[in-house]
Amino acid sequence: MNAAPPSLRLAVVGHTNTGKTSLLRTLSRNPDFGEVQDYPGTTRHVEGVRLLTGGVSTIELFDTPGMEDGMALLDYLDQLAPRGARLDGPARIQRFLESPESLRRFEQEARVLRKLLECDAGLYVVDARDPVLAKHRDELAILASCGHPLLPVLNFTHSPDHRIGEWRSAMARLGLHAIVEFDTIAPPLDGEDQLYDKLALLLDAYAPTLRALKQDVAEQRRQRHLDALALVAEMLIDVASLRLSSPAEQKTLEQSAETLRRLARQREQRGIDALLKRYNFRRTDFPHHTLPLQGERWGMDLFHPQALKEMGIHLGKGMAAGAMAGATLDMFTAGLSLGAATLIGATAGGLWQGADKLGRRLLGRIRGFQEMTVDDAVLRLLALRGLALIAALERRGHAAQTPIDMQALIEDGAEAWRKGQLPETLREARSWPEWSTLTEHYEPSARRTQAVRKLAAELEGPAAAR
Amino acid sequence: MAYTFNEHWITETLRLRESLWGPLEDSAEAGRARAQGGSFDARLLTRSRLLARRERLDDALERWRRIARLVLMLFALAAILAGGAVAAGALGSGGRPVNLAVAVTALLGLNTISFLLWAASFGMQAGAAGSLLTDAWLKLTRKLAKGPDAALLPRALLELTARQRASRWAAGVLSHWLWLLALLSAFATLLALLATRRYTFQWETTVLSPDTFVTMVKTLGWLPSILGFPQPSADTIRASDGLQDLPESAHALWSVWLLGVMVIYGLIPRFAALTLSAIMMRRRMSRLAINPSLPGIAELRDRLMPASVNTGTDAPAPSPDSAFIQRPAPGRQWGRRRLLGIELPDDLPWPPQTIPPGIDDLGVIDTREQRHRVLDAMREAPAERLLVCCDARQTPDRGAIALLAELASLTSDIRLALLPDNRSAGSGRSLQWREQLMRSGFTAEQLSASVPTALEWLSTEADPSSQPPTPTAFRGQGEPHAGQGEEPA
Repeated sequence: MNAAPPSLRLAVVGHTNTGKTSLLRTLSRNPDFGEVQDYPGTTRHVEGVRLLTGGVSTIELFDTPGMEDGMALLDYLDQLAPRGARLDGPARIQRFLESPESLRRFEQEARVLRKLLECDAGLYVVDARDPVLAKHRDELAILASCGHPLLPVLNFTHSPDHRIGEWRSAMARLGLHAIVEFDTIAPPLDGEDQLYDKLALLLDAYAPTLRALKQDVAEQRRQRHLDALALVAEMLIDVASLRLSSPAEQKTLEQSAETLRRLARQREQRGIDALLKRYNFRRTDFPHHTLPLQGERWGMDLFHPQALKEMGIHLGKGMAAGAMAGATLDMFTAGLSLGAATLIGATAGGLWQGADKLGRRLLGRIRGFQEMTVDDAVLRLLALRGLALIAALERRGHAAQTPIDMQALIEDGAEAWRKGQLPETLREARSWPEWSTLTEHYEPSARRTQAVRKLAAELEGPAAAR
Repeated sequence: MAYTFNEHWITETLRLRESLWGPLEDSAEAGRARAQGGSFDARLLTRSRLLARRERLDDALERWRRIARLVLMLFALAAILAGGAVAAGALGSGGRPVNLAVAVTALLGLNTISFLLWAASFGMQAGAAGSLLTDAWLKLTRKLAKGPDAALLPRALLELTARQRASRWAAGVLSHWLWLLALLSAFATLLALLATRRYTFQWETTVLSPDTFVTMVKTLGWLPSILGFPQPSADTIRASDGLQDLPESAHALWSVWLLGVMVIYGLIPRFAALTLSAIMMRRRMSRLAINPSLPGIAELRDRLMPASVNTGTDAPAPSPDSAFIQRPAPGRQWGRRRLLGIELPDDLPWPPQTIPPGIDDLGVIDTREQRHRVLDAMREAPAERLLVCCDARQTPDRGAIALLAELASLTSDIRLALLPDNRSAGSGRSLQWREQLMRSGFTAEQLSASVPTALEWLSTEADPSSQPPTPTAFRGQGEPHAGQGEEPA
């Protein structure tokens, strides 16, 4: 009889327009949950969502309409059952729920209270920008009389005009000492941990459930992070190993450079899409902008020198501009060393195959073809943008509706990508044109798989790379 | 490992296909995979199995396998024929004596070189692992099995083996197997020819000394002799220069020596390498697992393993309602001009600016008691003009709107000023205040005042000609206004 930990039911309650639905979106990682708007009374019914741990339901959360008329309701409660009458809190609420006004003027409030009575506890969401008013206290008094623990959740704590201190002392006066700060737009990385920890304090019968959930959340977060790094690493390898050859004439070279840029841009877009998908954000999450990650908003075009400068990337001495921007012509010496590296690899794998490839390239060189690759600086930019996007998505609630500001998100650890040598894996990728999935010469190889894995570890931080 | 190789293969093919040509529409398949439950791997493989069935990918896979097997059989046939031909060529028709050095080179030369190359490849890092044979095999199969998926299937196969670091061993299995077939066929041909024909063996040289041959034969024969193959004596070797007559037994001895060399240097190493490759391939491939971080798979996680499921709503949402301004009861005594703040926080000074004389400051109300007090006072002595200040940064809620509506019902003319008094900041919520109040029956004119103009309006005497204030739809057009006649002089 090893029953699964009991499922916990939580009602998310609060004043109107404090971000209850946003909190649910962020906790459930579902950007499609409910409707979010900066407008009172957007949610007008109770909507439930189950959080799953490995496919098993652990917590059921209920989004409720906002309390809007706590004072009048308290008046009505007093009228129904005067304080002197021998009725405890839940009984008074019950009496209210049976009253006619619970279907009319206070229908919204009745739905909230009915749900809270059914649940094990309530999360009381507060807009920390609001002043603490009597109506909030009245509302809390009503909610508290349901007889279930309440955990205040302070939302919008990142706003400059928040009143966290005021709220904390007001809550303390009401006997609510466990408080969580959880900004639904930009939740702290360990925000869910704190929330579940505090809940476990209030509901010790459910502590195992909450611990399991917390652990699962942490695991999922870690897995997402690793996946994201691997996606960025794949993208970098693809672009670093991209190598186009063309006759050494200005016109054809420029055409090739254009193709090179197009392929790299498309690859970045594909990478961004994959990251968004992995973090369960969609382009439609940003209703007012086609895609904040595109064009002017997501920095600039990958090959615009200004984009490099803004990211603090040192421009190499020979960074080409104009028609050849972002492309590096492979010098003859580089080609030779490249040939040698390829030759060794080729001998190992299968003599004929490699020789055939090398032969093709040497032939191209003899015919006066030149090879071009994507510039180092562009690779740096690509890596930095990828890392910035990961950082942004990890710090972003599913309720956020504003575009991502990338500039602010470059971490200190990314400094290594700005200058110094590119990681060895990327330099190696340079010499394997067949590693790039962007051309038809792509060939799967174990070494590429290894390189992606190593690069992903290097992306995680300079400490892991050394 | 509960999943078959085919399932992994299909999954990989779909992954490549989706990353090349964009995602497939998979709502039904993903839904079934979710419903089935289990680990992420299980769901992923279920999804690919269902998609493969829908896209007829499993048929393509079967067909590809059939053709690949066919091509392999052709290769095997070619290897057998080639082996036989080489053996027959090395021995000749029996009309001429068999040159031992040439025969050994013909039988084992190419085989040994390719074997040594394969062995040498371990000393270096493998890049693109493949061999001429695997390449030819895959290329030919691709030519025969047409269709877009037919090109992806071998690529997926290569991806899988490369990821498991089994490419080298898989290629090894193929090439060693073919070489072994060729050698076996050569060996069998050799046996058959030696059994049915009379051959004489000799060595020939122009520049080398007979002792060289003695050393060579002894060296080559040393290993076979350990395993029991007879070794010709030095005298026999010297005598086999083609110039002297040898007894039949010497030729028989040479033929067994040749077979021994063939077994020891040809068959056994190939067989050992084949076994090793097969074992290594099997071992590596048995560890085949889904790499959840691969592009094309990582993105599917939230789709197949959602962090949450929606459980629906309790009841349909009610239609939005708002409190309406009630028509003031006739016969009231309008008199005062009043100023009131509702739920203003500390950072907004009260009064917002010095109030002109003759105006009643009701202060800022927040609690229920304060509300009741003010409402009671208003009921007792209704105001002629009332200016209410609200915090535009807060969200207008039903309670506040109801309070304002009630105040409006107790006033001859009410105006609302939103604080802080700058139009640009917080305009979003001022808009909400306006919208909500208009829905409750306030007019635009009543809501658009700034604090100074509103205070000015409050301090001026009501002009009888302009009374009543713009009637609202709720008050009804043309109805005589209750307060009109009772203005204070």
